[in-house]
Amino acid sequence: MVIVKRKELSLAERLYLPEVFRALSITFRAIFKKKVTRQYPEERLVTTAVTRGQPRLVLLDDNQHLACVSCGLCEIACPAYAITIDGAETERCIEREPKRFEIDMLRCILCGFCEEACPKDAIFMSDELELADFSRAALIYDIEKLKRPRAALQPRIDYFYGANDRWRKRSSTS
Amino acid sequence: MSPLLVTILKVLLIYGGVITLAAGMTLAERKVSAWIQWRIGPNRVGPFGTLQPLADGIKFIFKEELIPDGANKFLFRLAPVLAAAPAMMAIAVIPFAGEITLFGVHTTLSIADIPISALYVVAVSGLGVYGVILGGWSSNSKYSLLGGLRASAQMVSYELSLILAILSIVVLSGSLDLRAIVAAQAGGIQDWNLWRQPLAFGLFVIATFAETNRHPFDFAECEPELVGGFHTEYSSMKFALFFLGEYVAMIVMASMTATLFLGGPEVPFWHGAPWFVQLFAFLAKTSVFLFLFLWVRWTLPRFRFDQLMRLGWKVMLPLSLANVFLTGLVVSFF
Amino acid sequence: MAETLFYLLGALALAFAVGVVRARMPLFSVLSLLGSFFCLSGIYLLLGFPFLAATQLLVYAGAIMVLFLFVIMLLNLGDEAQLERHAGLSLSGRRLFVGGTAAALLGIVGLAAAQMNTTFVAGEVPQGRALDDLPTLAGLLFTRYMLPFEAASLLLLATMVGVIVLAKRQRGTSAVEAEAEAPALPAPPLSSGAPR
Repeated sequence: MVIVKRKELSLAERLYLPEVFRALSITFRAIFKKKVTRQYPEERLVTTAVTRGQPRLVLLDDNQHLACVSCGLCEIACPAYAITIDGAETERCIEREPKRFEIDMLRCILCGFCEEACPKDAIFMSDELELADFSRAALIYDIEKLKRPRAALQPRIDYFYGANDRWRKRSSTS
Repeated sequence: MSPLLVTILKVLLIYGGVITLAAGMTLAERKVSAWIQWRIGPNRVGPFGTLQPLADGIKFIFKEELIPDGANKFLFRLAPVLAAAPAMMAIAVIPFAGEITLFGVHTTLSIADIPISALYVVAVSGLGVYGVILGGWSSNSKYSLLGGLRASAQMVSYELSLILAILSIVVLSGSLDLRAIVAAQAGGIQDWNLWRQPLAFGLFVIATFAETNRHPFDFAECEPELVGGFHTEYSSMKFALFFLGEYVAMIVMASMTATLFLGGPEVPFWHGAPWFVQLFAFLAKTSVFLFLFLWVRWTLPRFRFDQLMRLGWKVMLPLSLANVFLTGLVVSFF
Repeated sequence: MAETLFYLLGALALAFAVGVVRARMPLFSVLSLLGSFFCLSGIYLLLGFPFLAATQLLVYAGAIMVLFLFVIMLLNLGDEAQLERHAGLSLSGRRLFVGGTAAALLGIVGLAAAQMNTTFVAGEVPQGRALDDLPTLAGLLFTRYMLPFEAASLLLLATMVGVIVLAKRQRGTSAVEAEAEAPALPAPPLSSGAPR
C-alpha cells in the first residue's frame, strides 16, 4: 500500500485568489498564441506514403482488369467483415477474377489487414481519406468506385515493400 | 413628438440593442473560448463569423420541440419565460447614458428612472432563479431536478453577499438611485467607487458570477455530472430562451458593476460629455466585465458544491457584513 | 386608471391566495403565493411605496419562497396525499383546523384595521418630506418605531436559535439512541467485554 501525501498548500495557494490571477494571466497570454486550427476544406491534411487511408483495388497495366484473383484472403482477414467477394471464371490466363468486390466503407476500420493478406498485390491502402454521402447504400463501394490505376497507388506500394523488406531480411538472417 | 412615443422608442432601441448585444455575446463566447484554446473559432458565416448568431437562431427555430413524457407541461412551458423575463425587466433602469434630446423631447437614456433603481435591479434579477428551479423540477428528470436544487441553494446564498456589497455603495452614496450613485462618481478615474470600496468590488464581482450561474459556479448546468443540468430536457426555442436569459443576466450584472464601481456613463475628466460619448464609455466599461465573464469561464475549473457553500456563507458573507459595518462607521464618524 | 389597477391587482392577489389553499400540489401553492406577492408589490407601487414593493419582491419572492421551493423539492412532496403520513389529523380535519385558524386571524386583522387610526404616521413625517423618502422612513424606523423593530428582529433571532438547537439536538439524540440500541443486538459469542 502506498500512502500518497498531498502537497501542503502555501498560504497564497489556500487564499485562492493569487492562483486565480495567475491562471487568468496564462489564459490571457494564450489568446495571442499562434493558432493551431487547420481550416479543413482549404488546408488539407498532407498525405504521405505512410498515410493509411481507404483500401483501393489495383488495376493491371492494361488499365482494364483488376489484379485481384478473388482468392478471398482479404475477406477472411478483414476484422470488420467489410469485404464481400463473389468470384467468377475468366478467359484470361489467371482464370479467376471477382464478379463482385464490395467494401462497406461504413464498416471498414482502415486497419490495413487486407493489404497485408493479399498475395497478388491487388489491394492497397490509398491516401484517400474523405468519406461522405447522403445514403448508406452509396457508401458500399463496388469495383467501379474502388479501382485505381497502379500509378496512383505507387508510393504506397513502394513503401509497403520497403517495410516488408525489413522483415524479410531479418527472417532470412535468423 | 409626444413623450409617450419617445418612451416607446427608447424601449425599442434599448431592448433591441441589448438583445443584439446578447447575440453578440454568444459569438464572443465561442470566439474567446477558441482563442484561449489556440483555436480560431467560428469564421464561416459572414465576415469573421459575425453572422453566426443569426445562423444559430435559425437553427434553434427549426429544431424539434420536445416535451418529455411525465413532465408538467404548464410549468415546462412557463419556466423559460420566467428565466428570461426578470433579466429583461432589470435592463429597464440601467442608466446607459445621461441626458439626451430625442425629437425635441429632453430625456435620459434609460427606460425608467426610479428612485430605488439599485434595489429594483437586485429584486428583479433575483427572480430569475425561478425559471431555473421550475425548469429543473417540471422536466421530470433527475439531472434537471438536481440542477434546479443546486441553483436555488446557490442563488440564495450569494444574493446576500451581492446585496450587502451594493449596500456598502448605497451607504457611501446615500441613495438607492443609480443616477445618484453615478453622479457621486463624477470627476476623474480616482473618484470611482472601485478605489473607495475595493473589497465590495471584489465581493460583488464574485457574487455576480454565482448569480448568473456562470463558471466557476455553474452548478445549475454542470455538464460532467448533470448532463445539462436544469435545461437537459429542453430543446429548440425554449432552450434558446434560457440561453438568452443567461446572457441578458450577464449584461445586467456587468452593467451594474460598471455603474456601481466604475462610474457608469460618466466619462472620466469630462463631466457633461455628449450622450454618445457617455454611451460609448458605458459600453466600454461594461464590456470589460462581459469579457471577464468569458475569460474566467475558460480559465477556472468548477468548484465542488460544498466548497461553493463554504465560500458563500463562511467567507463572502462575513466579509461583506464587515465591509458594510466599516463603511457605516466611516460614513457616520468622518 | 390607477384605481382600476388597484382593484384588479387586489382581486388577483385574492385569487392567488385562494389558489394557495386550494392547490393540490405544494409546488403550485408556492407558485400561487408568489403570484400573490407580485400583486401585493404592485399595490405597494400604486400606493407610492416603491421601496416597500422592491423589498417585498427581494425578500419574499427572491429569497424566502426560493427556500420553500427548495424544501418542497428536497422532500419531493408531489401531492397532498403524501403529506398524510406526516400529520396526525385526517385531511378534512386538518382543512377544518387550518381554515378556522385562518378565518379567526383574518377576523382579528379586520377588527384591528377597523379600530386603527390610519393616519397614525402622517403627523410624524417632517415638513416637506414624503413618507416614501428613504431617509424619512429609516429615521422613523430607528427612532419612533425602534422598539417594535428591535422586538421583531429579536423574535427572528430567537426563532433562528431555536431551529438550530432543535436540529442539533435531533442529531445528538439519534446518535445516543444508536448507542443505546447497540446492546439490544444479539451479542457475539465469547464476548467477554472485548471491544467491538
